[in-house]
Amino acid sequence: MTTGNIIELRGVEKRYGTFLAASGINLDLKEGEFFSLLGPSGCGKTTVLRMIAGFQEPTKGTVLIDGQDMEGVPANNRPTNMVFQSYAIFPHLNVGNNVAYGLRGKAPKAEIDQRVAEALDMVELGGLQDRGASELSGGQRQRVALARALIMRPKVLLLDEPLSALDKKLREQMQFEMRNLQQSLGITFVMVTHDQYEAMTMSDRIGVMFNGRLKQVDTPTTLYARPCDQQVASFIGEMNILPAQLLGETGDMLSIDAAAFGRIEIERNPNVVTSAKDMNIGIRPEQLEIAAQRPEDYPSTVQGTVSNVAFYGENIHYHIQVAGTEKPISVSVPNYFHTVDFQRGDAVWLGLQGASVIDLGTDKK
Amino acid sequence: MRRPSTLTAYAFLYLVFLYLPVLFLPLFSFNSGTIVAFPIKGWTLDWYRKLGEQDTLIQALWNSLGVGTVVAILSTAMGLFAARAFVRYRFRGQRAAEGLVMLPLVIPGIIVASSMLVLFLFLGLKPSLLTVVLGHTFLALPFSVSILKSAFDDFDASLEEASYDLGVGVFETFRRVTLPVVSPGIVASLLVTFTVSFDEFVLAFFLSGNQPTLPVYIWSQIRFPAKLPNVLALGSILLLTSVLLLVLAEYFRRRSSASEVQ
Repeated sequence: MTTGNIIELRGVEKRYGTFLAASGINLDLKEGEFFSLLGPSGCGKTTVLRMIAGFQEPTKGTVLIDGQDMEGVPANNRPTNMVFQSYAIFPHLNVGNNVAYGLRGKAPKAEIDQRVAEALDMVELGGLQDRGASELSGGQRQRVALARALIMRPKVLLLDEPLSALDKKLREQMQFEMRNLQQSLGITFVMVTHDQYEAMTMSDRIGVMFNGRLKQVDTPTTLYARPCDQQVASFIGEMNILPAQLLGETGDMLSIDAAAFGRIEIERNPNVVTSAKDMNIGIRPEQLEIAAQRPEDYPSTVQGTVSNVAFYGENIHYHIQVAGTEKPISVSVPNYFHTVDFQRGDAVWLGLQGASVIDLGTDKK
Repeated sequence: MRRPSTLTAYAFLYLVFLYLPVLFLPLFSFNSGTIVAFPIKGWTLDWYRKLGEQDTLIQALWNSLGVGTVVAILSTAMGLFAARAFVRYRFRGQRAAEGLVMLPLVIPGIIVASSMLVLFLFLGLKPSLLTVVLGHTFLALPFSVSILKSAFDDFDASLEEASYDLGVGVFETFRRVTLPVVSPGIVASLLVTFTVSFDEFVLAFFLSGNQPTLPVYIWSQIRFPAKLPNVLALGSILLLTSVLLLVLAEYFRRRSSASEVQ
């Protein structure tokens, strides 16, 4: 019997003494998907990964890999392989022997040599078998770690912050390469990361964790547009969070009073509960129009003053102080032909459309 | 910035006081006279030549080499497991255990020696090279534990996990990853513990019975003035060997730290 799920976590909990590292984790991972566990450091994401790998046993609950209960199965007998955060390249072995490590004694030498060559080609290190472990750059170490894990033909590849040790440029390049590799191999990748952009650019689905709990599991676009609460909303990308009043609802549309932005119609967010009058809304900085004159075609406009400007190259961030809100509103504008260029203290108009407002529901008590 | 002054003078005198007596040893071992005093009568290598003719000395040398080798292997093997546990795991009573292992460094040798003698006699073990090996292993353990602990400190724990993860079991991982990566530390520990045992006198004096080790033999010869230059020659060789072994050990110890730094 197959459910199409390569990994299933059922009510998994991990306790260290009195500290609850992870609890109530239920998760189904589909065959061939790129899944990321995203969260701030200490949220328990690495603990979950290590329970799948077999380095830690859950205190409660079940880990199933390919339908098999993994209780009592040590790491060396699980159909998973891992790329470690430190890469864990064996310092006393050269590249070829590092990659061949898991196959030694389990396959004829000729076959091992051939598979090592293939694995190294796959990570674009072809012909570097004899290179010593200490002569490798950070990016090369990461590739060797990948090849060493993939040569075992795992059902699931586990990646623990695989890119965090690389510099920004190399990291972005590797994001694409790893995504391509995963798609061409069709293996399930489970990656742990604290970097939301990394998670969003690479993953089919993302599980967001806070304080040992899995808050939301969704595609990157859904997470971005329909977060399940304020915490997730502000962890994935930047978000202006404002209080609002629920005035009425018709079907999937809510009619709200969004403080300074006035009355506006927004879509209901199925991931939150909006029941009481007091609610919260979220507005992404890039979803706001900023202009010197009152913008037309926007159902809601408000006037404000530029309190801060930050130049990011590809876009510009403004902080706009608006009457009736405590915190300034963040607005980000693409640096498109340098058409917008406001200074601190300028009076500006903000324009907002209902489709850009995210319903964040009633505060949970 | 030069301040020769008192501090430099103090440091100089300190070193002279520390090492000059040691340097007299080789100096007088080349003296052709039998009285250890200036002026030196003449230069000779006779004392060194005569070393080879003394059967009891050769026997004591073999005793020492044998004891040192066994002690080095025993204490390094025990130290290897202890050091790995101290660095890798957090367990109840860890600090107490680490302290106890280091204790032989500060307990007076004569106390250890006499209590061990009592213990071994109580157990029915006659003083022999075996009891010396047991005593020296106890004494050498803190050295091997501290050397190997620093080797494991530089050892990334995920290397062992990576090996398990690649389908390799616990014992094979120890052989294929742990041992090779800490091997410079192991060599350093073997050399140092051998030297500790080779140079040790008090325990060996109490526990060796009628199978003297080299230091015990030297002590027995020192009472005869005519034998003194001979002992000086022997002592000089021991000195040189010890220094060489320790320099070699330090080289390996540093290599074990350097190999892990990327």
